[in-house]
Amino acid sequence: MNLDDDPPPTDAAAALRLIEDQQSATARRLNPDARLLYWPWGVAWLVGFGLFFLRFTPGERALVDLPNWLPLTVLFVLLAVAGAIQAVASKRAYGQVSGDSARRGRWYGYAWALGSVGVYAGLGRISEHLPHDLAALLWSATAVGFTGALEMAGGAIWLDRDLFRLGVWISVINLIGAIAGPGWHALVVAVAGGGGILVVGALARRRQRQRQQP
Amino acid sequence: MTELDPVIHAQARLRVVASLSALGDGDKIAFPRLQELLAMTAGNLSVHLRKLEDAGYVEISKTHRGRTPATLVRLSRRGQLAFEEYTEAIRTLLDPTPSKEQS
Repeated sequence: MNLDDDPPPTDAAAALRLIEDQQSATARRLNPDARLLYWPWGVAWLVGFGLFFLRFTPGERALVDLPNWLPLTVLFVLLAVAGAIQAVASKRAYGQVSGDSARRGRWYGYAWALGSVGVYAGLGRISEHLPHDLAALLWSATAVGFTGALEMAGGAIWLDRDLFRLGVWISVINLIGAIAGPGWHALVVAVAGGGGILVVGALARRRQRQRQQP
Repeated sequence: MTELDPVIHAQARLRVVASLSALGDGDKIAFPRLQELLAMTAGNLSVHLRKLEDAGYVEISKTHRGRTPATLVRLSRRGQLAFEEYTEAIRTLLDPTPSKEQS
């Protein structure tokens, strides 16, 4: 019965345990920890847009007297850090796996890259003619709206409920912020957007752990 | 009760197949990564993969990544089916009450 010296599992229960252990170990190794994919972005939005609101508060004077350049610099640095963390975590998990998943991820990445370049090139041409507060609203509402739309699309591609719901949430709060106006938009995006990303990261991690439990 | 598939009903090969079954649809994994996931020696894994390939359960393709050759492994449709049947048979052994799938 045996083809070689590879012994059969001792009994059915051992075989089932072996299957489940191996499948969950593989899934754990081939999927990055969801917290690494969500939380750095959540922190970037919370801190970056939070500082922006504190410095460029609606009304006459700033809540906190920060240098003008600080909020955007912090935002961009934190976004870059989040991107780097995501890239490293994904490379570790998905590296050396090729095929449909890799292609999906790559094309989705292209959509982000090419989409951003196109959108921001247009904005750059317009925003120089706008007053500072409106230019800031235009940029951030467009960037946040773009993020929400692509996250919904990502949810559709991977049938990922968490990502899709996050996209819906971000699209809705972006709308609310845009209606509320310059300054307030940054507050809404920082608290509801950044906070929302942190919450979804925790939920996605919990779902992941349940799935990966043998 | 049908006989358990002797190709899969073996500890090491069952681990190989279970690991491959956790990949996404249409995905292939590079040989060194699979080796690392399973903590097997290259020689050992090669032997088991060859047996699985002979049974038509895995597909092995050679490709190039830049200038380095790479060996990619995936479960074939036949292997997927065999693994599902095996898992079903094991579950039936453990819990013989007929489930909905079985008439």
